Order: sequence, then structure tokens, then C-alpha cells
Amino acid sequence: MMGSDYRYQFLIKLKAEVPIIVSPINNLINLPVTLFRDSKNNFITKELLIEKIQNLEATIYSLSIQVQENKLLKSENNTLRDTLNIHKKFNILGDNAEIILPNVRNGYSVITINKGIKHNIKAGSAVINNFGLVGQIINVSETYSEIRPLTSKAYAVPAIIDNGKENIILYGNGNGELEIPLFPASSLIKINDTFVTSGVDRLYPKGILIGKVSQIKPTTSPKFNYIVVTPFFQATTFSQITVLKIKK
Amino acid sequence: MTVTNIQKSQEGKLFIILFLISILLSYIGIFGIHDPTIMPNYFIALVVSFILTKKAKLNLNKLVIIGVVTDILAGQLIGQYGLIFINIYIAYLITNKILIIKYEKQIESLSILLILFGFLILWLTSQSYGIPIIPKAILFQSILTFIAYLFFRVIIKTYLSR
Repeated sequence: MMGSDYRYQFLIKLKAEVPIIVSPINNLINLPVTLFRDSKNNFITKELLIEKIQNLEATIYSLSIQVQENKLLKSENNTLRDTLNIHKKFNILGDNAEIILPNVRNGYSVITINKGIKHNIKAGSAVINNFGLVGQIINVSETYSEIRPLTSKAYAVPAIIDNGKENIILYGNGNGELEIPLFPASSLIKINDTFVTSGVDRLYPKGILIGKVSQIKPTTSPKFNYIVVTPFFQATTFSQITVLKIKK
Repeated sequence: MTVTNIQKSQEGKLFIILFLISILLSYIGIFGIHDPTIMPNYFIALVVSFILTKKAKLNLNKLVIIGVVTDILAGQLIGQYGLIFINIYIAYLITNKILIIKYEKQIESLSILLILFGFLILWLTSQSYGIPIIPKAILFQSILTFIAYLFFRVIIKTYLSR
């Protein structure tokens, strides 16, 4: 039974086809949070709203300055690309979604989001947010989808150090971190170096933040080091994510 | 309906209620903790508690069905929990053939052994089929599962002694 399920992925298909069983459980678990959020929104005061508007206006102001800088950089970049004859598109297209509970299921890490087949979410899509890479969609049902976080043990992502020097593959260690089991000791790497996606797999766009080096440990072989990377993303610290469209 | 039949149906109802509670709990971290390693395996705790209290007349067929339902709702691979439950049940039967289990301390020791055995099967099947599982967390999860087992045991005894 297990062998055939492993081979033909019955359970994944079944879970995608029968959301009627799991949806009520999800809704029930989310009920306290939803009720709290709804009641909080209903009882919000006028002063709070004014304060929020002021904060948002301040944010818009600072962001508009950043946009101007970015426009300048973009035009400079385009000019340089034209001069050097480099043509590459960096368009990131995706659908925004919200994380709903639970993010654990019977001892396994799973992030559930509030969009599914109805919203054109497809299994295998990459998921990012403003902190960086989140993971990959593994299971899609009618109204919600499940994400395998990048720290999951079955996860691997091609990455590059942000100075563009080292191309490697990062593996989730299932313990909230990523790892490089064998990193050449001759390569220069230091604590707090940042890893970004390299884009060689054509699944994740190039340049998305993954995490920073938190530990460098020697291995039994003097030629290699063991590197631990702490991801920028934490499932509990944000609620909005973007599911990227799969490029055909 | 005879007294025995009423008791049987009560046991069955209690098992179904606790099974549904287990599904619900398996979707939530304890006290809002979102670390999947810091949560017990409620299903192993539930099955061990019912096997050891000899309630709900669990047998191999029933355990296979319960296992498949568990896998569909909260599992990773169809048949994994079925295998775990069958192994726990067989281990219990073999122990009962070899030893005379009648004291509370014996039952508690046996429960620890059965829980650890359940986790061993879970770990072995997960390794065989590439399901990510953290070996270091298994011991901690076993302790939590034992606590969950004690809770279930208290509930079973309280509810069925009315």
C-alpha cells in the first residue's frame, strides 16, 4: 500500500480532490483567529484609523523617494545592458495570498494559504514574500494550497552568494535552517554572507533573498566545511506571500 | 439493548470522539508553538490507550481502517499509520502471551514500550519512503506522546466508569 502510494502519489491526489474533509478542520482551527481579527476590525477607533492613515502616508512618502531612486537605477541599468548587449527579463509575476493556520500537521511543517485551484494556483510554483524565499507549493485543493517551507528536509534550492561568486545548492535540514553539507574550504565565505537564488533551475527567479550564513563548521575532510544558513523567512512573522506563476 | 451492548457502543462513541479530537489537535501546535517537532503523536497515544485499556474491541481489521483514515486526514503516506497500529497491536499481543500484565506499573511500562515501538516503525517507514523526519526529535515526541496517552487514559477511565 505504501509502495504504491509512494509511486503513484495517491494521497496527494486524494487530498487535492477531497478538500471537503479537511476544509472544515482548517476553518474550525482558524475560527478563533478570524473572530478575533473581525471583532478587532469592528471595534477599531477613529483615532486609531487617523494614526494608521498618517503612518501609511509617511510610508508612501518614503517609498515614493525610493521609487524615484529605483527608476534612476533601472534606466541606468537598461542603458548599461544596451551598451553591453545583455538582454534579460526580471519580471516577477504572481498572485498574492494569505497564510492561514495551521502550519504544523501531525508533526510535519506545512504552510497553508487561502488560495487554490479556483485562483489558478498550481502545484510546483515557487512562493516568495517581502522577506525572501518561502518555499514551494506541494498540494493544491479547491480553495487552499499547501507550501513546503524551504527549511523542510525534502527541499533544495540553487543559490549564489550575493557577491555572485559561489554557485551552490542549499538543502533544508528540517530544523528551521538550511545547510550546505560539503562547501569547499578553499572558497571564501564568512558569517552573515547572504545567499540569493541563482535562477539556474528556472523555477525561482534570480536574486531572491534566501538567508544568511550563521555557522561555518569543519567536517571530517579538511577540504570541506559544513555551512548553516538561517533563512530570512519565518512562518510566524508574516501573513502575506506571493505565489509565482510557472513559466511555460 | 443489553448492558454489554450499551457499554460497547459507548466505547465506540468515545473512540470516535477522541479520534476526531486527535485530528483537530494534530493540526494545532501546543500553546500556539509552531514548531512541528514539539508536538505529540496523538494517534499513537490514542491507539495505545485503547489497546491497553481493552476498550472499543480493537482488532487488526479495525486498526487498518483507522490507520488509513489517519493517513488520509493527517498522514504523509497511505498505509503508514495502518502498519504502525498493526505493529503496536501485535507487539501487545505477543507481550501478553509471554507475560502476565496485571499491575498498573506494568501497563505504564508497556505503554512506553509500545509508544517507542510505534515511533520506531514511523521512523523506519519515513526513512524508506523519503519522508522528512528529525531523529533527534523522536525521543522528545515520545515523551509528549506518553503524556497525551496518560490524558487519554484518564478520559477513557472517567467516561466509561460512569
